[in-house]
Amino acid sequence: MSDSVDVIVVGAGPAGSCAAIVAARAGLSVVLLERGPFAGSKNMYGGVIYARMLDELIPKWWEQAPIQRWVTRRSTMLLTDTQALTVDFRTDAWGEAPYNGATAYRPDFDNWLAGHAEAAGAQLLTSTTVTGLLRDSAGSNRTGAIVGVRTDRPAGDLRARGVIACDGVNSLLAKEAGLYEHTDAKHFTLGVKETLALPKEVIDERFGVRDREGVDIEIIGGTGMINGGGFVYTNLDTVAVGVVLKLSKLAAQSLRPEQVIAGLKANHAIAPLIEGGEVKEYSAHLIPEAGLEMMPKMTANGMLVAGDAAALCLAAGIWLEGVNFAIASGMYAGETAVDAIRAGDVSARGLAGYQKRMRTTFVLKDHRKLRRAPALVLSDRVQHLYPAMVANVAERMFRVDNPQPKPGLRRIFAQERKRAGVRRRDLIRDAWTGFRSYG
Amino acid sequence: MTVVVCLKWVHDAAQPDDVRFGAMSPADHSALELALQCGEWAHADVTAITVGPAQADHILRDALACGVRRAVRIETSHAVSGADVAAAIAAVVADAHWVWCGDYSIDNGSGSVPAFLAAALAARQALGVIHLSFGDAPTIDAGVIEATRRLDGGRREVLEVRAPAVVSVEGATAHLRRAGLTALRTAAAAAIEVIRIATPTRVDDCVVQQYRPRARELAGPDGVSALARVLSLTGAGGARGAASARRTVVLDPLDAAGRILTELREWGYRT
Repeated sequence: MSDSVDVIVVGAGPAGSCAAIVAARAGLSVVLLERGPFAGSKNMYGGVIYARMLDELIPKWWEQAPIQRWVTRRSTMLLTDTQALTVDFRTDAWGEAPYNGATAYRPDFDNWLAGHAEAAGAQLLTSTTVTGLLRDSAGSNRTGAIVGVRTDRPAGDLRARGVIACDGVNSLLAKEAGLYEHTDAKHFTLGVKETLALPKEVIDERFGVRDREGVDIEIIGGTGMINGGGFVYTNLDTVAVGVVLKLSKLAAQSLRPEQVIAGLKANHAIAPLIEGGEVKEYSAHLIPEAGLEMMPKMTANGMLVAGDAAALCLAAGIWLEGVNFAIASGMYAGETAVDAIRAGDVSARGLAGYQKRMRTTFVLKDHRKLRRAPALVLSDRVQHLYPAMVANVAERMFRVDNPQPKPGLRRIFAQERKRAGVRRRDLIRDAWTGFRSYG
Repeated sequence: MTVVVCLKWVHDAAQPDDVRFGAMSPADHSALELALQCGEWAHADVTAITVGPAQADHILRDALACGVRRAVRIETSHAVSGADVAAAIAAVVADAHWVWCGDYSIDNGSGSVPAFLAAALAARQALGVIHLSFGDAPTIDAGVIEATRRLDGGRREVLEVRAPAVVSVEGATAHLRRAGLTALRTAAAAAIEVIRIATPTRVDDCVVQQYRPRARELAGPDGVSALARVLSLTGAGGARGAASARRTVVLDPLDAAGRILTELREWGYRT
């Protein structure tokens, strides 16, 4: 067996598997390296998988993908200790092909996707951790072209014409390649999730769904003094409940993340949904949440970066996405590697098509458009002042306080704004930022 | 001179096709490592053998990646008993000098296959070994391995084992080496010899039962009335005697330590 291949893909998550599928189908020899004992074993996700990008790679993927439920009911909830205001949307359209979003267990989903990479001809090697990059001997250790990777196995060097780093958040390879100018804890959030087992009929009844229909509730507020958000979503016979917490605030509060989840679970708006559920799993993962602000350079001489490793995670309040960006960036990285290897130029210049592919598609267009959204959603005002203010307005609006006559909505709003301590100009500024991002 | 290691593919019976839930037992890891060491010691190639369906190939590939030369999978037509497994293996490796096994598999294995195998091969047996030392570099067939077995009551038995022999080892006896990257890639594509044997359906051997630990005889509690017996079992109401009476004493630390030791001795926790 030769110790050199065309492409090494590091990490068998959605980005890595899609990159491997594309490169292997183009006839290149591909090795897909995964540190866990099987693809997906190290992965967790507290959200919804939007996999329409797979249409190109795996026609009718929805007929075979191991998904739990198709999200047909999508709620956004503003939560305070005693109030909840929910915008709840449901549509039958998302419950039939080609569907919209799905909940899935990542060890199932990623393993299935890696199976397609193997079927395409990529060689998947598990329990193998990449520990560093191999550089061209002509250059220095810092600047030479990347010509392979070093793994933790004996005689573990493997050379390749191109490396695609899909090694997830906090990418050691992207950092070693010098693609991140700086990293800052404030760019990350910690996602923490409990998976609670409940009988399927109970979940169907509590969430008002049937068969494979599922619910996704995204929550602003409910995380105490720590900026972040919460989520509840349904699997077939489990409910995932969790929080996403800004690292710096979590550290400052010296709270354990499970305490924050416990607080959310005890909230009267959430408790009845999950009552009696047995905790099956507790998991936590870093999320690169700052969007465009933290993104690294995505090409180096001989290497491309995709997925979470390139901070391609969209956390914009009403849109919370990641797997779709991983799939797309993995595909584009695979296509770019194929083109570059065929053209015989895998330098950063030869790989420049990758950036272009991403700039001209949703991958970077969405991030550019929503570049101010992550900071806005995690700002102190949106987190700590607005939920209570809006909930109080709703409470007074719907309260029938006879014999008092109904107050005008404008007056309630002005009073509640003052009571919450929100300055008018801050409100206008935030509204303008939101309008520019979401409008 | 041949060295053989017997491996068992342990899987989730509900999902036999899902390789995520199939693996070797820790004891088999240990046996594989010792077989490889034995091969180096005796200058012999190592053969890995398993009895199981096609999904079991992946543990053989793991063994190939670690340095085994030949991998054989025996496919039986029916579920078979431990004795049949041993007979099937013995038929394939009749000339084996050293046969290594895990002492029992984690899916409620009873540890019977190594013993049956020793009988079928007419070989010596050293079962449940927890420590090994290989003797001087052997001439053909003449090596001696010193094996330490675990006996009841914390006792040990040291055996001098000569070929042909079956040695079964506990999981903690050796730590499996890590396969090299190239070996791992080669093993993924390597051919596995498959031997299909027809096994007669023996109804008595194929009954699938829930695992039940063996019954143990326990002495009944003392006491004339039912209440007295319950009290003596649970220790409620001071039934364990004066030792459980609560006493509060104030002593300086040295005396206090001495007192604690005395009390512990009286209660039977120390000798």
